[in-house]
Amino acid sequence: MADGKLVSIDKTVEVLLDKMEKDGVESCWDRHLQQEPRCQYGDLGLCCRHCGQGPCQIDPFGGEQQKGVCGATAETIAARHFIRMIAGGAAAHSDHGRGVAEVFLAAAKGEAKGYEIKDEQKLLTMAMDFGVEIGDKSIEEIAVEVGEIALAQFGQQEGELKYIKKAPLKRQELWHKLGVTPRGVDREIVEIMHRTHIGVDNDYKNLLLQGTRAAIGDGWGGSMIATDLQDALFGTPYPVLGRVNLGVLKEDEVNIIIHGHEPLLSELIVVVSQEKEMLDLATSKGAQGINLVGMCCTGNEILMRHGIPVAGDFLQQEIAIATGAAEAVVVDIQCIMPSLPSVADCYHTKVISTSPKAKFPGATHIEFDEHNALNSAKEIVKTAINNFPNRSRNVNIPKESVDLIAGFSYETINYLLGGMFRASCRPLNDNIINGRIRGIAGVVGCNSVRTRHGEGHVEMVKELIKNDVIVLQTGCSAIDCAKAGLMVPEAAGKYAGSGLAEVCETVGIPPVLHMGSCVDNARILIAATAVIKEGGLGDDISEMPVAGAAPEWMSEKAISIGHYFVASGVYTVFGANFPTLGSKKLTKHLFEELEEQIGGMWGFEPDPVKAAQLMIKHIDKKRKALGIDKTRERVLYDMAMRRELEAV
Amino acid sequence: MEYKTEEKEAFGRGKVKVLGATFEEGKPEDVKMGKWREKMTNRKEMLKYIETGERYWYSKDWYGSEKRKKPA
Ligand code: SF4
Repeated sequence: MADGKLVSIDKTVEVLLDKMEKDGVESCWDRHLQQEPRCQYGDLGLCCRHCGQGPCQIDPFGGEQQKGVCGATAETIAARHFIRMIAGGAAAHSDHGRGVAEVFLAAAKGEAKGYEIKDEQKLLTMAMDFGVEIGDKSIEEIAVEVGEIALAQFGQQEGELKYIKKAPLKRQELWHKLGVTPRGVDREIVEIMHRTHIGVDNDYKNLLLQGTRAAIGDGWGGSMIATDLQDALFGTPYPVLGRVNLGVLKEDEVNIIIHGHEPLLSELIVVVSQEKEMLDLATSKGAQGINLVGMCCTGNEILMRHGIPVAGDFLQQEIAIATGAAEAVVVDIQCIMPSLPSVADCYHTKVISTSPKAKFPGATHIEFDEHNALNSAKEIVKTAINNFPNRSRNVNIPKESVDLIAGFSYETINYLLGGMFRASCRPLNDNIINGRIRGIAGVVGCNSVRTRHGEGHVEMVKELIKNDVIVLQTGCSAIDCAKAGLMVPEAAGKYAGSGLAEVCETVGIPPVLHMGSCVDNARILIAATAVIKEGGLGDDISEMPVAGAAPEWMSEKAISIGHYFVASGVYTVFGANFPTLGSKKLTKHLFEELEEQIGGMWGFEPDPVKAAQLMIKHIDKKRKALGIDKTRERVLYDMAMRRELEAV
Repeated sequence: MEYKTEEKEAFGRGKVKVLGATFEEGKPEDVKMGKWREKMTNRKEMLKYIETGERYWYSKDWYGSEKRKKPA
């Protein structure tokens, strides 16, 4: 069995893996050990099974096997595999976005009871982005037009996505020049599937360009549309106090864990779980109340908008059930382990699937239908409450839980920096230019059993803030850093360098800002663009002192996110493993040549502190190119100092 | 509130006095706190804020790095 201390920095994992062992329940860490040794061909991106003649494998040590049966080289095979990962990730984000657009449209037409447009201001900005005339139209009239245009973006065949216009002008020009401006969200994904079929595109650089086009269609298309529509429907996040880690489960209440990625159903479960009818039912079953908690990105969504506690990240989903205290784990889509029903079999927990796209043998299925969503939410909450009397005495809820501040949408950061009449990125730009803040890092992504759970995120982020780099976070990465106490204002004084701490303490923000779920990485793109447009830090994201990372990545979505960061001009470092290492030429192209072509590039470093240092080195390189490297050392200039500076 | 200063180590310039935390200690209790968008109660105010606060995309005449550029 896996050793909890070795596999995770989180004490809850140690405690609950011990319990699982006693209860005779297998965890993902046990299965990870069973999978060793991994197939090295697959690990290096050198295994192809795109046709019935394979699988074909390329010998990474230069042996005889240098081409597949069809003649495909290591470069072709690894590039095809890499961009199919982008297609998978972009499809996941975009299908999420399409689902939101459908509910949004139904809500606008009054066909989805329980939903309404909560953020008129966000709707108005979307109307402006989409060229919808506002005038005296009602919210619903505008929302119908916005919803129809948003939905059409996915299937658009010609032209370019509307949100491309939000990128810095110089970036748009580069994308046009390279021919990577996405025409429609779906089209670019389909074209990847075509071009990676046997015998179509065999030039790794050309394959990668299509990967770039689809990834941009994700970041500046599907994901951005999902985030904006969710904001308009449920509200743009404000700073909110929450709590995180498994200690948020309660001994004497009905615990409902909402896990997955969409806020569509969970928003209504939040409403329903507070209704008197449900609270009375819970009391009648012997519970003191209903305790709703989140997990993974659905957790992040309801945390950002309601301060609902987050029980844990991707790797805590099985151990959450093993507490024996969860009456229901309600799941929608993405990053839900297929093992959950078999873990739940050993306890009283009911796993409730809700999406027709994601069913789990052994789970109870209560389908989410936007036209009848309130009833679905009620049925789910009732099922959980009715399960409370089945809870056994074999319960162990870990004590660990800490405070965090979440809810840092771009709009809110912009507001916090200037207030109602002076909202602006100017203070941020000024503090980057004067060197109090060295740069900006986006640290995002998943957890992987291939790294020590949580260590990559926490160690990297601590190293970055210690060196005055402000960190923007989403997804499970954000959950891990929150668990480590990095997302409270007090963390600035404790962990950040003096310059960053000074700025954070003045504004009253933590040095690590929680921006949401993984589709919300689009918020980071918008924040970076605002900094560019504000002026003084170059004309393009690639000129800014900025870097990205996913130290514990595992999903195809992470590859798509990483590639749209790169395609937007960001140096992006991944940890754990990297799927192209078997092809030297492709890896060189991704890690070096792309910087010349598109301004951003990939990096790979499994040690999180070394990875952070690579990011800082890149940030310093950009500071130097902008001519602001000296300002970090500036105090008050006397004439001698000025002369000295000018002479450099 | 009373402003506090603290002594800190600054990069390349030894110990410096800096402004300490300017936020009130404790946890926010009012659920409405921080909901800045609710300060705008009608569409006119919202549009005005969008044009100024979010001028990077929604002002006809934003300033900044791109003012001199032709549209892409
Ligand atoms: S596409 Fe080529 S390399 Fe891939 S499995 Fe078929 S023959 Fe082998």
